[in-house]
Amino acid sequence: MSQSGATVSQECITAFNDLKLNKKYKYIVYKLSDDNREIVVEEASDDKDWENFRSKLVNATTKSKSGSVGKGPRYAVYDFEYNLASGEGARNKITFIAWSPDDAGVMAKMVYASSKEALKRSLNGIATELQANDQDDVEYDTVLKLVSKGLAG
Amino acid sequence: MAQPLTTASVPTDIYGGDEVSALVLDAGYCQTRAGFAGEDVPKSVLPSSYGSIKDTNAASGSRNVFGDDFIYARPDFEVKNYMSRTESVVEDWDTAVQVWEAMLLDRLQPERRQTQPSKNGLNDGADGEGDVSMEDAAISAENAENAEKPLAESPLLMTEAPWNQGKAREKAIEIAMENWGCPAFWLSRTPVCAAFAAGKASALVVDVGGANTSVTAVHDGMILKRSIQKSHVGGIWLSNQIRSMFDSSDPKIEVKPSYMVESKVPVDAGAPSQAILRKFGYDLHPSYRAYEDERLLTEYKESVVEVWRGPGRYSNPGNEDLVKTQPGRIFEMPDGSNQMWREQRFRVSEGMWDETAQLPTTSEEDRITKAQTVPELIRACLNAVDVDLRPNLLGNIVVTGGTSLLNGFNDRLNNELMAMYPGMRVKLHAAGLTTERRFGAWIGGSILASLGTFHQMWISKKEYDENGAGIVEKRCK
Repeated sequence: MSQSGATVSQECITAFNDLKLNKKYKYIVYKLSDDNREIVVEEASDDKDWENFRSKLVNATTKSKSGSVGKGPRYAVYDFEYNLASGEGARNKITFIAWSPDDAGVMAKMVYASSKEALKRSLNGIATELQANDQDDVEYDTVLKLVSKGLAG
Repeated sequence: MAQPLTTASVPTDIYGGDEVSALVLDAGYCQTRAGFAGEDVPKSVLPSSYGSIKDTNAASGSRNVFGDDFIYARPDFEVKNYMSRTESVVEDWDTAVQVWEAMLLDRLQPERRQTQPSKNGLNDGADGEGDVSMEDAAISAENAENAEKPLAESPLLMTEAPWNQGKAREKAIEIAMENWGCPAFWLSRTPVCAAFAAGKASALVVDVGGANTSVTAVHDGMILKRSIQKSHVGGIWLSNQIRSMFDSSDPKIEVKPSYMVESKVPVDAGAPSQAILRKFGYDLHPSYRAYEDERLLTEYKESVVEVWRGPGRYSNPGNEDLVKTQPGRIFEMPDGSNQMWREQRFRVSEGMWDETAQLPTTSEEDRITKAQTVPELIRACLNAVDVDLRPNLLGNIVVTGGTSLLNGFNDRLNNELMAMYPGMRVKLHAAGLTTERRFGAWIGGSILASLGTFHQMWISKKEYDENGAGIVEKRCK
């Protein structure tokens, strides 16, 4: 259970299993429903271009209580693939990303941070977790270095 | 305020089903903050210091008054604090209950306080302060037996220091449930609230407060108990450094808070004050003077003191000469004396980083050791956690607490950490808004308690009745 009490909808787990077992998706972006009660799938895609995925996070928005729209946090799972520098072939690491831009509203940041555990615990088979708070944190090279622990070629 | 609705009849479409009547209470040594969940800032912020007036009519021989507007010079008056300075946890529970009731009831929702017309403050005589005396508290306790408990409709979320002990946690839930009849209760650790409010489930939280500075590692929303570090290098310690600097100035600078000044005349910078001082026909308790001194020193801290940004220590050759060529800040004391401050304003804060630079202190307890400086607290905290977690924590440092608002604090912290951990990625996060820094933990608690989903987290009255106070240890981890 998360510390906020928010729950995880079944579709989150179904989509994750499709990504993990059937390789149906490259990534899944999750968000909290508008009433902050439930984590739902915002988008699942097989687009392999990291930049497209990154811009999805960077441009994500959340509506505040007063109705104004601002930068928004998200959760994402990305099936990250890289080649080992040693030439021993490719590796896949399912990476969990908690995206919470520093310039998002405090309410949205609080809700996402306190609900993260619920989602992470429902998804079995995550290899790496990444907490990203500004745009540099989701640059391909930054993530590659972290996910591969510096072993990528 | 409109008649409070029961949870079932709250129109869910307006607030998205979020809880609107929950209260949030955050107690520190210097201040206690209380307000309604879902609001941006606490509606009531009172000093944790309170006044105790000698009263031969009262059973205990004294009565208490709360709030800075009631702390003024008067005879037979002593200023006390219900929190422990060294631990930042409650020391005097009887008074804690009074202070909290003064805030949660009298200040936040006076219409809920059921008082008899003769005691409601409207019919008071010459005194007319509307103070809640011990006697009133006793009567309202009696009333409570017959009438509804005062907070029967308000779930209460309290914050607590990460080192708070089991006994104190149980005491808190007992008060909420037994004294006030709260329908639900929750305890949140301050570093977790601060980390969440910064959008981080894992973070190294550096809380630079009034009485203490603490460093705590938070991982996936849980504090790592072994990692907790704390020292008294906070706002009050800094006040004492300023005092020491004033004492050693030539001529010596005396701290004369505004209550002592009858009238002042403008004087040139550095000239002695020509103010006429007030005369009191009675003795003032030293604790009152200390309280007022602290208020003046806080003003000095906010407007004059600065932290040497680095890189390197302030004592490194050339730094002080550089500072002396730069514009200083003028501070005028309540008695009219004023002067320009340049290098001194960096000297007083340098001890936070470099124990050899601290100014001589009057009491031995106030001295800090190397291990108590801010960088060393962080090093000790990191050394106490798993090696794999350290890079992530260093990249997610959350700075909070009022004393962290000192000019230059974050720059220096960043420089110190970069020097201490070369090649590692160090990233500080500090809220830009001063209110978010001063009330970080309260704001975090306010958002949590306002969430519609949080109702399943609360410890309900029923659970408490079935399991006793021990439930808080099981649930609020």
